Amino acid sequence: MKLPSLLRRTPFRLTLLFLALFAAAASAILAYVYFASAAEARVNAEREVGGEMQVLQGIYDARGIDALNKALIDRSLTQSAFLYLMLDKDGATITGSLNQSPIESMEEDREWITFPFTETDADGRVHRPQVRAVQVRLSGGEMLLVGRSMGDTEAYLARLTQALWGAMGIVLLLGLAGGALVSRNLERSMGRLNKVVTAVQEGDLKARAPVRNSGDELDELGAGLNTMLDRLEASMASIRHAGDAIAHDLRSPLTRMRAKLEVSLIDAEAGKIDGVDALQLALDEADNLLKTFNTVLAIARLQAAAGRTPDPQLFDAADLAADMAELYEPASEDKGLEFSAEIERGLMIEANRPFLAQALANVIDNAIKYTPVGGAVMLRARRRSSGEIEFSITDTGPGVPEADRERVIQRFVRLDNSRTEPGSGLGLSLVGAVLEAHGGRVQLDEGPGEYGGFGPGLRVALVLPPADAA
Amino acid sequence: MRILVVEDDAEAATAMVRGLTEAGHEPTHAVDGAFGLLEAQKGGYDVYVVDRMMPRLDGIGMVETLRKDGDQTPVLFLSALGEVDDRVAGLRAGADDYLVKPYAFSELIARVEALSRRRETGSVATMLKVGDLEMNLIARTVHRGGKEIDLQPREFQLLEFLMRHAGQSVTRTMLLEKVWEYHFDPQTNVIDVHISRLRAKIDKGFDHAMLQTVRGAGYRLEA
Repeated sequence: MKLPSLLRRTPFRLTLLFLALFAAAASAILAYVYFASAAEARVNAEREVGGEMQVLQGIYDARGIDALNKALIDRSLTQSAFLYLMLDKDGATITGSLNQSPIESMEEDREWITFPFTETDADGRVHRPQVRAVQVRLSGGEMLLVGRSMGDTEAYLARLTQALWGAMGIVLLLGLAGGALVSRNLERSMGRLNKVVTAVQEGDLKARAPVRNSGDELDELGAGLNTMLDRLEASMASIRHAGDAIAHDLRSPLTRMRAKLEVSLIDAEAGKIDGVDALQLALDEADNLLKTFNTVLAIARLQAAAGRTPDPQLFDAADLAADMAELYEPASEDKGLEFSAEIERGLMIEANRPFLAQALANVIDNAIKYTPVGGAVMLRARRRSSGEIEFSITDTGPGVPEADRERVIQRFVRLDNSRTEPGSGLGLSLVGAVLEAHGGRVQLDEGPGEYGGFGPGLRVALVLPPADAA
Repeated sequence: MRILVVEDDAEAATAMVRGLTEAGHEPTHAVDGAFGLLEAQKGGYDVYVVDRMMPRLDGIGMVETLRKDGDQTPVLFLSALGEVDDRVAGLRAGADDYLVKPYAFSELIARVEALSRRRETGSVATMLKVGDLEMNLIARTVHRGGKEIDLQPREFQLLEFLMRHAGQSVTRTMLLEKVWEYHFDPQTNVIDVHISRLRAKIDKGFDHAMLQTVRGAGYRLEA
């Protein structure tokens, strides 16, 4: 992997950012430790130096300059912790463990100073620790200086600094390596997703991201992408299907209309019918075509809704069933069919009322159309034990053979024995589409069996989820 | 009747103007909602026929403006959109009726005439009277020539609607929409069967048939 491309990767950039933050934090800690330690070392040194100075002043005050001098010599030989220097009032050295005088002014009394000191330890290594010292003018005019090295602190801080730099180096190394690794892994995962996106851009709706079920964000993103693509593919397919279906659905009625118009033109020319009749026929055919067109559009719209009810309303299915029974009973009885309705009360549903009414109308109309005179049609609305709301229309017509039941819900399927009746063959397709859009289903079963020499009849059930479950 | 036709489709407008003129009305055409609004504000119209989708000011905007200005002239909305929510949006904007394109011309005329009549009989009447047919809206009774006619509740509603629009053609779709309050295609002519039952009750035994079938349109109750 080339460095410039690596530098452009988000995870690697994040790594660099964190490393920089870490370095800044380490520097801050170092500075803090340094200043805190230095301050403490100075305070410690001053305390000890102060104590020693007190002792020495005591000796001087009690026993004079010679006793002090002797004490200083003794101490210089036995104690290495303190540095001493005593000058006479002219600034000449009387005694001391310092070769060079750090005293700058003979005027200052109780003046604290810091100066570097060179010493060689037992292993021959040279140290240059800082010394903290105080100069005090004695009552005889001599100047006494006592100092103490802060060298231990200096060495400690130096080691600490070194350790921190080392740690920083390791962190930097590991961080960069980790960053590159994470970046590469992420890039690989993102690459898989990107490949899917590119494929889709190029028109391949079948491309899917691999999902490892690891539950991480990228996996979730991949799964989400897949779900989105599934939806998209389904709705694209349904649009394509609707387009194909509309084209197909309209070709047959258009062909029929054209044929009829041609026949009526011939008839009109031959004087069999007059022009007005021909136009009336043409108008009727155009109306039928529009009706078919509207039905096809409604089916397409319902299918595109993909299980979501368009413009739902909350209402009692019992009222709808009662209205439909009231509307269709006279037509049924006029045809010589016995019509009955059994409606339970209180069947709340959330549905598109006009569409559901249309679905019921189509089924009832079919029942009336296909049941021979002397038969019976029954409308029932009830709550199933499962809680679902069921409308059922049972007739005593010829029924639909079991093998054909799935098929009749498809578009334009008309069974052979129904060809003599008018109709587009879209009635049950619309019913299917309406129920599907409501999260319900259509069930076709055998009717009551032989009845008045006909049968076995057909029972069409429209099953809907109840309102509270919807 | 003076009718303002607001329609941007020139061909549809020409056909509509011609048809309305032939039906004995005085139509005026405006090419979009903005012109329609200007024309409407001149006043003197009995019904506005407004297309829903137009450039500049659309039908909804135009009707909303008119209603805000206090113009209560009945409005018939025309639209290529037949969805339920479109119908609701149209009626909410202040339209009185809604017709989906394409429509039969007889349907348009029937609805326009029904709208103008609605304004005239907007008052709260307790009795309706057409010829020798009388309807008491309080007692829910119907008499013809002094003889009481027993009607089912729905037959009563059906007759009430026909009486309120006596002398006018009403279509089957209008009856399903206004009497049963459903918007769907009943496939077979279920309405015809209801009408023939009603006809048997109000016309049987009388020498003059009041409930007439209008070819290619629907029905008409004549005195």
